[in-house]
Amino acid sequence: MQAAKTQATSTPLRQLALHSTTTCSAQASAYGKCILATYTDVKKDVCKEEFEKFGQCLRTSVC
Amino acid sequence: MAFLPILRTRLPRQCRLSLRTFASESSTTVPASSINNPYQVFDRTAKRLQKDRAVSRDTGVRSRTVDYVRDEVADRMMERLMDIKRKFDTIVDLGSGPGHFSKLLEPEKTRKVVMIESSEQTLNRDPDEDFDVEVERLHADEEKLLDIVPCNSQEAIVSCLSLQWINDLPGILVQIREALQPDGLFLAAVFGGDTLFELRTSLQLAEMDREGGISPHVSPMTDTKDISNLLSRAGFNLLTVDVDEVKVGYPSMWELVEDLRDMGESNSVIGRRHFMHRDTLAAASAIYKELHGNEDGSIPATFQIIYMIGWKPAPTQPKPLERGTAQTNLKDVLE
Repeated sequence: MQAAKTQATSTPLRQLALHSTTTCSAQASAYGKCILATYTDVKKDVCKEEFEKFGQCLRTSVC
Repeated sequence: MAFLPILRTRLPRQCRLSLRTFASESSTTVPASSINNPYQVFDRTAKRLQKDRAVSRDTGVRSRTVDYVRDEVADRMMERLMDIKRKFDTIVDLGSGPGHFSKLLEPEKTRKVVMIESSEQTLNRDPDEDFDVEVERLHADEEKLLDIVPCNSQEAIVSCLSLQWINDLPGILVQIREALQPDGLFLAAVFGGDTLFELRTSLQLAEMDREGGISPHVSPMTDTKDISNLLSRAGFNLLTVDVDEVKVGYPSMWELVEDLRDMGESNSVIGRRHFMHRDTLAAASAIYKELHGNEDGSIPATFQIIYMIGWKPAPTQPKPLERGTAQTNLKDVLE
């Protein structure tokens, strides 16, 4: 179980999962709210600005 | 249905070569017939491998952890079987998995259960001691039921959360009816169309915004009203169809997706994309939480379950009387 635990945070995807829900949750929420406000008419990059902030946060924390 | 096998063999073999794209997941041998055959939706080879891998992950620990949906549905299905006042000699469990439903069978209800499952590792996950009745395990493709059991041979066929991966659903229902003896019972539970709608919508919105297009990530599933039509079309009598929901809470989308993988329920739609961009996944997770999330920060996932009961026609079964043959006037009863 311990071995599984250490592995649990080591893979890149786990890192992404962890930081997208904890470290960057504020930016994630802002992005989600943007989509929520426009979800009946979503086009490509409709929430580009919000996602860039979210993505930036993820890139700095995952690495 | 009879013309389908002929169609498959006559299709030109060489078009398989031109379908080859990137060297991705090699399990995807897209059947050459998939373009012309509307009944080819799922990649059965990929599904079998997914199930095998799910069971061998962490020597089966992960697979047992995620039994909760199937165990719950098996329990609810057993209630329906207990309502049927009949004792069986043998029950066939089609697409049994490790035997979620079969394990609940008691000697008062049946002497023996035959489990049929296409994933060998899933089939043999749990030892015989976990069962209260005699078990026979058959490693075979569920889609070719009549190759395994002869016509008019079975008293009862059950299926717990497996038929959603069958390509030709009308065809398998006909096969089940054929395999049953007259007045034989068919009882099944499948995932219905509202299953995982939260995940489906979140991924669609994320893909639209990030990539400008969508691709299938959640399977097409059967609607409730279609099930009763399909059952009567397959020739079953005395139908009972009802719908139920199992709602499960998860910390986030990531845990949900991981659990689905460990259940062996990953995407296996033919022509699916074999990777997802990190950005899209992160976006979907954020959208899932904002769009569907609970107040306490967790997220819900809906599993819609359709239960169906049908009987193979037999002369002994009760039938409606002919019009105008009633002896009692309804007016007298109601007054």
